[in-house]
Amino acid sequence: MKVIFHRIVWRLAAGIAVLWGAATLTFITINITGGDPALAILGGAEAVPTPAVLARVRADYHLEEPLYQQYFIYISKLAHGDLGESYRLRIPVTRAINQQLGSSIVLALLAGGFAILASITIAIFTAHRAPWLRSFSSTAELIASSMPGFVLGIVLLLLFSFRLQWLPASGQHGWTSIILPTLTLSVPLIAILTQVLRNELEEILEQPFITTARSRGLSEVGVRLRHALRHALIPLVTLSGSFFGMLLGGAVIAETLFARQGIGRLVADATSNKDVPLVLGITMLAATIYVVVNLMVDLLNTAIDPRVRTH
Amino acid sequence: MQLRSPTPNLLALGSVAAVATLILAGCGRSDRSDSALAAPPETAEAGFVSYPTSDYIQQAPGHPGGTLRISTSTDTAILDPHGVSATYIQWFGRLVFDNLVYLDTAGVAQPWLAKSWDISPDGKTYIFHLRDDVTFSDGARFDAEAVRLNLEHMRDPATRSTLAGRYIAPYVDGRVIDDFTFEAHLSQAYTPFLNVLAQSWLAMLSPKQIRENPRSAIAAPIGSGPFVLKSYQRQQGLRFERRSDYHWAPAFLHHEGPAYIQQIEVDIIPEALIRYSGLSASQYDFTFEAPPQNAAAIRANSTLVLDRRIRQGVPMRGLTFNTEKPPFDDVRIRRAVALAVDREGIVQAVGFGEYQPKTDFLAATTRYYDPAFRGVLKYDPVAANRLLDEAGWTSHDLNGYRTKEGQRLGAEFLTTETATPSPVAVALQSDLKKVGFELRLVQLPQTQITDHRNAGNYQAITAGVWHTNTPDALYIIHHSSEITTPARIGQNTSRLRDAVFDDLVARARQTSDPVVLQDLYSKAQRRLTELVPAIPLYENYTFVAYHKRVHGVIFDTSHNTPIFTTAWLDEEDRS
Repeated sequence: MKVIFHRIVWRLAAGIAVLWGAATLTFITINITGGDPALAILGGAEAVPTPAVLARVRADYHLEEPLYQQYFIYISKLAHGDLGESYRLRIPVTRAINQQLGSSIVLALLAGGFAILASITIAIFTAHRAPWLRSFSSTAELIASSMPGFVLGIVLLLLFSFRLQWLPASGQHGWTSIILPTLTLSVPLIAILTQVLRNELEEILEQPFITTARSRGLSEVGVRLRHALRHALIPLVTLSGSFFGMLLGGAVIAETLFARQGIGRLVADATSNKDVPLVLGITMLAATIYVVVNLMVDLLNTAIDPRVRTH
Repeated sequence: MQLRSPTPNLLALGSVAAVATLILAGCGRSDRSDSALAAPPETAEAGFVSYPTSDYIQQAPGHPGGTLRISTSTDTAILDPHGVSATYIQWFGRLVFDNLVYLDTAGVAQPWLAKSWDISPDGKTYIFHLRDDVTFSDGARFDAEAVRLNLEHMRDPATRSTLAGRYIAPYVDGRVIDDFTFEAHLSQAYTPFLNVLAQSWLAMLSPKQIRENPRSAIAAPIGSGPFVLKSYQRQQGLRFERRSDYHWAPAFLHHEGPAYIQQIEVDIIPEALIRYSGLSASQYDFTFEAPPQNAAAIRANSTLVLDRRIRQGVPMRGLTFNTEKPPFDDVRIRRAVALAVDREGIVQAVGFGEYQPKTDFLAATTRYYDPAFRGVLKYDPVAANRLLDEAGWTSHDLNGYRTKEGQRLGAEFLTTETATPSPVAVALQSDLKKVGFELRLVQLPQTQITDHRNAGNYQAITAGVWHTNTPDALYIIHHSSEITTPARIGQNTSRLRDAVFDDLVARARQTSDPVVLQDLYSKAQRRLTELVPAIPLYENYTFVAYHKRVHGVIFDTSHNTPIFTTAWLDEEDRS
């Protein structure tokens, strides 16, 4: 128990360091790429602000202060949970994120959940099966995992929305509108997870304890579900850190293509509009979730795999 | 208002979408249309382009009721028209707000919330006589004090105006003479004043909102217009409800009483392919930005209407020369480079045959446009080569580029960083190579471009358009006082300083006589074709498409964007 407690404290401390590092790096990146922030705030090259407006914006955002002072102001605000105001939307960053977060969480849970269920099912049914089935499955996985998300999305759109007219192409009216974004987001994940899981399963199915289980008269499905799967899940849990990253990256494409609300589309818009506080805010959110997910993965691994505890 | 060169699409989705559209079109109907179908609706009499007056005035009363579903490409972000310069304010403003004046099809100011006005002989004092029967949707009364508060709000630094404040820069102060008479004082004569007051960025907000909570106008502005904004879901859409007691549409529209349509739903759909498919599948009745790549398919569809109109102001320029730095401080080289550009090819590549190539500096729909100088900068590689020879760049190096005293003829062209270089930049580069000029494309992030731009630190830089309802656009883009200084941001990126041109457009600001104005603006346009501050490429358009069940759509005389005060729905036609 004490070991686990130590691990949590250590992980949390490291997490704070990661957040501080992410905040500092983003601050540096934004400031070395140059450009007048006052003009970015006022809408970039198209704007013709009067001198009074320029002066006001420079004062509001402390742009006349030396850089180290701006950094200090920025970090201390961050420590108080104040992410500032979005340049482009002119509302607090936390509110901008809150408006979009729900929609992204629903999509991520659906896509993530579906990906896990589907990959487990496929892996169990294709590991060590007829060579043609196995090679068919792994070819499909290779194509799916290497296909860019927006190509997949457009193919799905052309097929199910335009050609067959089964599903709506855009928006958030009714549950049918979430099917295509979920598929776009989960298909590449399914491909990768299935590959990992099947390799692991096949290795485990060679192990002596599986032979023992089979010799006790267990059915093949029983062996796979009850004995092999638990062991095969360990790398899957470890993968879930990058799994989260893929969900967030995929959301940028799925949300933009299918015109859904969400963090992915928000960050894409914020980046192309040089909305610095919003980019920073979403970076911090992503870093926080990353830290939390990794902590949970670590604890979960400890629970599943007794070997980790003794290390 | 300005729009940079065609917006770089996220992950180049646009081009994939275009290809996908071709595949899609292959599945069913042919994507080709004969030239008769593609014929432009405009009449181009001797070069000046105008559209039928009936496109701007209600033709017959409509049937009330129904919900109009619209798709648009860009999220609306800030909705306070005074605080933003974005293009979406053009349609948004006409739904939710009214203005003091409205332009007729000739570009002359007509009554709206102001019944009439008097201008002092020196052009510095305007007295507006206002309507006394107008209310805002929060119950506030429209009166002289409301006008004063609005002008103050536009120039209040806290509003962070990026356009409206600048457009009324000569405004000094105002006086409420009585409840419905307002007097505005300008620092100097400024004839574009009435024109800019007709634009949606200078629309009238509720005085109650300005007094009590001006910041609330950013997300929930209150106007006196035919529709009321009911909700705004960021990145999702906007919902509008008509005001049943509205009865103060501009008399010019020939429309009495409230709007016909009960509700308007605007959804934000970034991808062009999906806007097109949503329209053809009847998920939407109307799209504000029809994709040019689908224009032929829309025209070929008997249930749809495609409408494209040239926007007034400064047309699309592909590149702006820095006239202060070599090699473009030499006007012969600027002219040679402009002559070497084959616009037909570029227009095909970016406009799918929908854009009109452009060789002069004012959009053909702008008042006082003079087509007489169209031929001066027409594609002529022979003349381009001759000019470069004259300038002394006579020898060639091994790569075929011209040289002089061991130096290669060329320049760096700063463009905004995108995944792939813009097709326009690449086309310019290859056209110029043919006359021995090396155009080196330098891609930088937007903030760095802005820095270089303001410092004048470039040889050539991306340009764009500037859409406004007055030829004063020429002043904004090319007058020497519009060169950026540390104290003031301007749009004259060619850093042109020409006393003759400056005098022409400055005098035009002081003049109200149409004959004199035509003369001044003609000379100014001619002067620009001599000075060649930029490479004009093509006319920029509004491109809308809608179902035939939508009737009575008319267009704004200021920006050629659609107006829905007079539109109505044929409900039996809805599938």
